[in-house]
Amino acid sequence: MQITCTINGKVHRFDCAPESRVLDLVREAGMTSVKAGCGEGECGACSLFVNGRLVNACLLLAPQIQDAEVVTLEGLQEETAAIRESFAEHGAVQCGFCTPGFVLRAYDYLSHGGERSEEAIKAALDGNLCRCTGYRKIVEAIVKVKS
Amino acid sequence: MNYLRATNLGEATALLARYPEALLLCGSTDAALQLRHAAATATLIDIHALEELKGVSVEDGHMRIGALVTLNELLRSDVVRASLPLLAACAETFGSHQIRNLATVGGNIANASPAADLTAALVALEATVTLASQEGERSVPLEAFYCGYKCTKLDHELITAVTVPLQTGEWYYRKAGMRERLNIAKVSIALTQGHGGFRISGASLGPNPVRFRTLEALLDGGVYDDAAIKEALESDTDPSGGHRSTKAYRLRVAFNMIKEALSQPEER
Ligand SMILES: Cc1cc2nc3c(=O)[nH]c(=O)nc-3n(C[C@H](O)[C@H](O)[C@H](O)COP(=O)(O)OP(=O)(O)OC[C@H]3O[C@@H](n4cnc5c(N)ncnc54)[C@H](O)[C@@H]3O)c2cc1C
Ligand code: FES
Ligand code: FES
Repeated sequence: MQITCTINGKVHRFDCAPESRVLDLVREAGMTSVKAGCGEGECGACSLFVNGRLVNACLLLAPQIQDAEVVTLEGLQEETAAIRESFAEHGAVQCGFCTPGFVLRAYDYLSHGGERSEEAIKAALDGNLCRCTGYRKIVEAIVKVKS
Repeated sequence: MNYLRATNLGEATALLARYPEALLLCGSTDAALQLRHAAATATLIDIHALEELKGVSVEDGHMRIGALVTLNELLRSDVVRASLPLLAACAETFGSHQIRNLATVGGNIANASPAADLTAALVALEATVTLASQEGERSVPLEAFYCGYKCTKLDHELITAVTVPLQTGEWYYRKAGMRERLNIAKVSIALTQGHGGFRISGASLGPNPVRFRTLEALLDGGVYDDAAIKEALESDTDPSGGHRSTKAYRLRVAFNMIKEALSQPEER
């Protein structure tokens, strides 16, 4: 089937099977910040925005982005600059595999007026897993993002 | 694979009559995995655009929750938080932020997983589910909607809404899992104590959520004795063992939760 959507503001067309995963489509379209982690909705490495809502691209099927506005980290470079700097400053990155997902979740959280307490941020990160950092530095980095 | 998108309820029921074996698609948090693990399903009917299945409204002491309401919409709804705090508390333990942005109330009910959190909470709240087909609509108490493991009484129908009496009295909700918030419940307990007495249900304590009637009668009679509670729980539940935990573990956790509920319920 034919799927048309915008990804980071540009129109994309896919000729694909209806059961194709959005995760694979956006990666093929060059958005490699969207990572294939668990593939089962558990780790958040594949997080992206669909019509403004942060969701797991590994669970979404191609027809679910028909006419939708998809935004990945590639499309939010300016908006996430302060968050990315804070991650670097606080050493919240090791292998970096989980980082795009965490940065998008942090952006989602902070731009909706999320509270800057450790506890609230930990709860907000319930859909993102990191194999390397132990989360302390990630939480610290988000608490200290310069606004 | 055949993909069809319904744009209104009439279209959806007509498609369902034509393709009775179709898989309905809402948030696809369960369906995506079903598709990958099960043998190829021939037809997908996407119902996520049906306006008739959206939104929450209150009338005559009941709340109508559309099947397409997502878990985050439940969690953020002021009327749900104010009038069905147990359901809001349940939504808070459900999945992750990203999952809650996709997962719907109707999908949780229809998927009929023994671990479905929302379903267990809704059974304790005496919810009624509304089903629609080409022949029209009918309503069934949610508890009677199930017929065993992964079995529902859907008959070429789709779920349009659940209707829940507004909460009164004391309540308790707690879920135990591998991680505090994300993931499948090893056990959860939902309890209310309103004018009609105790209403208790739970997830992962049987093939489908049911009211724990022996236990309810015991507590309504004022018997809070440990041995009696344990015995009632054993007769009301049928937890499976399985790879996530043992039957004995689930029963012990359920017992501890009931004791906690009796000593420190939330007020309403
Ligand atoms: C990582 C992860 C974490 C999860 N955590 C939890 C959790 O904490 N608690 C919990 O209970 N569940 C959890 N789930 C399971 C799942 O998210 C829920 O069951 C969810 O509510 C399903 O809704 P959906 O809209 O995604 O359904 P879909 O996947 O779109 O559909 C699921 C099934 O229901 C049928 N269906 C859907 N809507 C209707 C309708 N209106 N009428 C008739 N049939 C319908 C479909 O045909 C399909 O078979 C989790 C899943 C994942 C992947
Ligand atoms: S790859 Fe999608 S949540 Fe892990
Ligand atoms: S930095 Fe390696 S997974 Fe998080």
